[in-house]
Amino acid sequence: MATSLKRREQQPMSREGDQLIVTPLGAGNEVGRSCVYMSFRGKTILFDCGINPAYSGMAALPYFDEIDPSTIDVLLITHFHLDHAASLPYFLEKTTFKGRVFMTHATKAIYKLLLTDYVKVSKVSVEDMLFDEHDINKSMDKIEVIDFHQTVEVNGIKFWCYTAGHVLGAAMFMVDIAGVRILYTGDYSREEDRHLRAAELPQFSPDICIIESTSGVQLHQSRHIREKRFTDVIHSTVAQGGRVLIPAFALGRAQELLLILDEYWANHPDLHNIPIYYASPLAKKCMAVYQTYILSMNDRIRNQFANSNPFVFKHISALNSIDDFRDVGPSVVMASPGGLQSGFSRQLFDIWCSDKRNACIIPGYMVEGTLAKTIINEPKEVTLMNGLTAPLNMQVHYISFSAHADYAQTSTFLKELMPPNIILVHGEANEMMRLKQKLFTEFPDGNTRIMNPKNCESVEMYFNSEKMAKTIGRLAEKTPDVGDSVSGILVKKGFTYQIMAPDDLHVFSQLSTATVTQRITIPFSGAFGVITHRLGKIFESVESSTDEETGLPALKVHERVTVKQESEKHISLQWSSDPISDMVSDSIVALVLNISREVPKIVAEEEVAVKSEEENGKKVEKVIYALLVSLFGDVKLGENGKLVISVDGNVAHLDKESGDVEGEHEGLKERVRVAFHRIQSAVKPIPLSAE
Amino acid sequence: MGTSVQVSPLCGVYNENPLAYLVSIDGFNFLLDCGWNDLFDTSLLEPLSRVASTVDAVLLSHPDTLHLGALPYAMKQLGLSAPVYATEPVHRLGLLTMYDQYLSRKQVSDFDLFTLDDIDSAFQNVIRLTYSQNYHLSGKGEGIVIAPHVAGHMLGGSIWKITKDGEEVVYAVDYNHRKERHLNGTVLQSFVRPAVLITDAYNALYTNQTQSHHRDTEFLDTISKHLEVGGNVLLPVDTAGRVLELLLILEQHWSQRAFSFPIYFLTYVSSSTIDYVKSFLEWMSDSISKSFETSRDNAFLLRHVTLLINKTDLDNAPPGPKVVLASMASLEAGFARDIFVEWANDPRNLVLFTETGQFGTLARMLQSAPPPKFVKVTMSKRVPLSGEELIAYEEEQNRLKREEALRASLVKEEETKVSHGPDDNSSEPMVIDTKTTHDVVGSHGPAYKDILIDGFVPPSSSVAPMFPFYDNTADWDEYGEVINPDDYVIKDEDMDRGAMHAGGDVDGRLDEATASLMLDTRPSKVISNELIVTVSCSLVKMDYEGRSDGRSIKSTIAHVSPLKLVLVHATAEATEHLKQHCLNSICPHVYGPKIEETIDVTSDLCAYKVQLSEKLMSNVIFKKLGDSEVAWVDSEVGKTESEKRCLQPMASAAAPHKPVLVGDLKMQDFKQFLASKGVQVEFAGGGALRCGEYVTLRKVGPTGQKGGASGPQQILIEGPLCEDYYKIRDYLYSQFYLL
Repeated sequence: MATSLKRREQQPMSREGDQLIVTPLGAGNEVGRSCVYMSFRGKTILFDCGINPAYSGMAALPYFDEIDPSTIDVLLITHFHLDHAASLPYFLEKTTFKGRVFMTHATKAIYKLLLTDYVKVSKVSVEDMLFDEHDINKSMDKIEVIDFHQTVEVNGIKFWCYTAGHVLGAAMFMVDIAGVRILYTGDYSREEDRHLRAAELPQFSPDICIIESTSGVQLHQSRHIREKRFTDVIHSTVAQGGRVLIPAFALGRAQELLLILDEYWANHPDLHNIPIYYASPLAKKCMAVYQTYILSMNDRIRNQFANSNPFVFKHISALNSIDDFRDVGPSVVMASPGGLQSGFSRQLFDIWCSDKRNACIIPGYMVEGTLAKTIINEPKEVTLMNGLTAPLNMQVHYISFSAHADYAQTSTFLKELMPPNIILVHGEANEMMRLKQKLFTEFPDGNTRIMNPKNCESVEMYFNSEKMAKTIGRLAEKTPDVGDSVSGILVKKGFTYQIMAPDDLHVFSQLSTATVTQRITIPFSGAFGVITHRLGKIFESVESSTDEETGLPALKVHERVTVKQESEKHISLQWSSDPISDMVSDSIVALVLNISREVPKIVAEEEVAVKSEEENGKKVEKVIYALLVSLFGDVKLGENGKLVISVDGNVAHLDKESGDVEGEHEGLKERVRVAFHRIQSAVKPIPLSAE
Repeated sequence: MGTSVQVSPLCGVYNENPLAYLVSIDGFNFLLDCGWNDLFDTSLLEPLSRVASTVDAVLLSHPDTLHLGALPYAMKQLGLSAPVYATEPVHRLGLLTMYDQYLSRKQVSDFDLFTLDDIDSAFQNVIRLTYSQNYHLSGKGEGIVIAPHVAGHMLGGSIWKITKDGEEVVYAVDYNHRKERHLNGTVLQSFVRPAVLITDAYNALYTNQTQSHHRDTEFLDTISKHLEVGGNVLLPVDTAGRVLELLLILEQHWSQRAFSFPIYFLTYVSSSTIDYVKSFLEWMSDSISKSFETSRDNAFLLRHVTLLINKTDLDNAPPGPKVVLASMASLEAGFARDIFVEWANDPRNLVLFTETGQFGTLARMLQSAPPPKFVKVTMSKRVPLSGEELIAYEEEQNRLKREEALRASLVKEEETKVSHGPDDNSSEPMVIDTKTTHDVVGSHGPAYKDILIDGFVPPSSSVAPMFPFYDNTADWDEYGEVINPDDYVIKDEDMDRGAMHAGGDVDGRLDEATASLMLDTRPSKVISNELIVTVSCSLVKMDYEGRSDGRSIKSTIAHVSPLKLVLVHATAEATEHLKQHCLNSICPHVYGPKIEETIDVTSDLCAYKVQLSEKLMSNVIFKKLGDSEVAWVDSEVGKTESEKRCLQPMASAAAPHKPVLVGDLKMQDFKQFLASKGVQVEFAGGGALRCGEYVTLRKVGPTGQKGGASGPQQILIEGPLCEDYYKIRDYLYSQFYLL
């Protein structure tokens, strides 16, 4: 007891419920395996469930061991990229997770294709396989879809999502738990591009913003300049009879590049004889998704859609493998993988790299250690897949089209929102640190906390959110003034509270109240007058009357229990259930049974009464003392009849008569007062008159 | 105090006329739906015309004429200028529906109530919401939140929830609780105890007996029976609403049976409709989106249905039995009417109605029992003018032009005289009415011959017409001419421009034929002739309306059990029937307002907000009951630091309160519970439950549906003094929470 009390003293009870914890299980000071855990008021949310593409097997997973998956209420996936969604099948099928999962329509459609492809492509041993195709298909049934702006409520957690602009279907989630709002951006971009809308600015300012920091303090070139560089390089290369290789990840940014190319070709009839290929069966499959979820894209695409579907390309054709490709003249080929590790893009690179007319355009962020990253630095020679070295003569251009917010976008976004707490995730440690420093200078007033927790490092915050209740119905007919008392039923649903009179319960909630009327018949053959007399001796209020129908005598005891003579042989008791009435009726039953069993003894009642009063008094004191000892441990009888209670060096004096408590420590005082109050109401007789 | 709510119907009460209701919430006027009928009867809109300018927001529920048909007209002619809220499909399909209506009308009459431009401008500013999106109104409607929810009747169809200060007004018309092929059922049942429910009694008297499975079989059997004997089947349908369900049924059936009979879907906008519908998968049933997610099968990639946008294509189609779905369902206009007249006299043919025709239309007439043997039909056709008529027309046009020009020049002179003053803005360029000049490029009609006179409007300030002259004054400083950096900025918009140009028509693709019809300015006239059509083809009506039937309407309303209920859109008979039913068993406040009768459904609810102090809450022990938790509180009102009302624990011991039993006892469940505890239990007569040998338990007082009318439950337990009695009483208590 004492220890638990100590703990509570240090951490006042009110704060415990108000603690909000955010723990990155992945993507804390790193890029990849996004997974952020959050809990507040007993509700638990996990944002994203990715893997680190640089590792395989268990090592790629976020630190799921840190949490108990079965306690998670909701899992929200922002977009389909592997580092945000790829550990989902594992988490759904191989852990104790039993909450609900949400993602947008487009994300769900692509998620399946992408992960199925991932399982096929990743060449790891069976033991290292986190999940197989079967798990992916099973996970599809558990995933629920959410539309942008649609508000969903699960166990009192309200959430909805905004457009994030990063890839098709990418979302930023806003979560509202008991009035505290948390925004998780996932990957986002505030710049509108060819097919995606820019990330929306949420209508409400969140209390916490968990924001990506991939780009750190970098600034992007304007989109038009990048596009112009891109098309210029391609145009000049093919005009000189060269070939252009664009290694790109199959989904997401690739579609944007294809749109640029298709449009550029449409505007330049002189290029029409030069073929453009995209060589990715996955991208081809996903095209149907892009052709369908037009509504998630920007107005430009939607308006074009009025004429013809812009994702039905006119100048671009698909290639299934290198065998279908006839390398006869200038061409533009977009092929995966983006890192040139292996596969189609690498095969083409090996063939084309030594011709100086050719060009290779790296269209986005490249992971350290890949060939694509290496050639950006334009080495003299490269190693081919067959182990030979070849001169790198082709031109290499790095034009980033990755849709992550740059520093300008991030800082304006945060300035618009002005969240009091900012948590940085999804960025390399150094970049993140720089971003943090720079943001500090942007918010110098000190009202903004900026944090960049490492993986498994918890950030704790306290939100003393006010609990507001609405008093409705009969109870609210008169608005009370200070000091008036309000008594009623408090109904809590989710995080909304209502106070109402019991009679209104069925009107304002789905609950209802009931009254249970009890009628019991007891055999009794004596005179009814005897009962009247005996009851009168025991109970304060006994009213006699006659039953209107039968004309037989009846009694009403304490205005609760009606005793009626039913016939010569029986009497009946009728009352409406509640603890006191039940007790009264029980004693009446006992009395009646006693009367019929024996002739009452004559006792000196008064003496007994006085004596018992004294005895009772002593007993009460003993009980109070014993209970206090059991609660607080060290209780001594002090001077002038006060009880001295000492806990951990804090002392409180309790006056047994008045219930007044004196002492230094407020918390202890309050606890002693409450305890004493409760003990007293337990040992003292209950007043029988109720309202 | 509660939020004030007033409802006044503008159209569509005590009859099946189109829907339009004015709901005012704390002075903010919502127009719920803005419908018109297929006859475009302007007299129906009179009540609307009186209030149109006071409307603050329009909420649309379904993409058909009955729910949004009057929007273009009201915007153009009646002064309706409020923002319109609708879901994306309602917006898009509604637009197509209106195009189809207009084009069908224009073919057969001098339709001038609204034009395509009016339709475009009416729909341009629709604010599009998704299902369950809580949209917070600003400005005058501050504090009001609106949200559309799944209605189930048509794609994108919505029931609207309007919330202010926690009080909910729900507008739910034409909902369908059943899940269909392309739509999920409504979520109306999830709204419990709203302050006001405005709903229709349309189907209150109608009970749908057949199961959907049987209905489908019957539907397809009927069609194939007629096809197999060489007949044609016509399904008069709406433009973009219920027809989608029919298309899916046919498509599915055709692929199962490998039928070779062609299916044609013929409206002026059929191909655009299907194109858009293909991108609305998010709004459809779970099974459709699931099948797309797993196998990327778009259910609306129709393999057996040919989309046609004009009648000649159908006439050119290979002869032989076929199924044609054509608009309008009312047979008052559109292709369906022409085809009906052509096919009606062949007994092998079938006209299959899938919904009850609008009142007073040809479809309704044909649906009467017994079906009429002959119908009198006025067929109208638009023919180009020729010969003398053409000459007369041109002369008339020229005369009008001359008069116009004369008047214009007079007006201009006036203007010049008036505005020629010192305040002239010399740099104002010559105003050219771009709209007219643009037209002269596009059209070859004689209409704009005098465009050069008409198009140039000299600036009001100029004394005599002259070309604008800019005095190029350059600023100089010691380094020479001042350079404006803007002149040297690379225009990077260039990339986009090409595409935007290709974007072209912003408001939706119009099919080529449609476009030609729009641009067709050749002088033409409408000729009408009356025909007597012998109806010898079979006429069948089947229910594919996609609305809940009477029984489910009643159970839905009982489940929702609103505090106040407003009934609209149904025949007087159905309205009265449902009103009586609800008064008896659901809620005591049922209203059936007449047109333009304003009823006040402000809840008499009193409420105030208080803050719950931490001290109080730490002493409250909640008990869980269903999805809510309950507790008894005794508290005292105090003030917080910010002067708000707050509840604190009582300083002194609270006066004891009358204990309350909270819970809902279901006799059936309790019986099973007792049986599981080894008590012999059976139902005796009169709803009494006999437990053990002696004890009986019964519910007394007003039983019936829970909620509204009935108060707390009254349970009576009686028996002789015995052990069983106390045991059963304990079991009974265990079903409740004592507070």
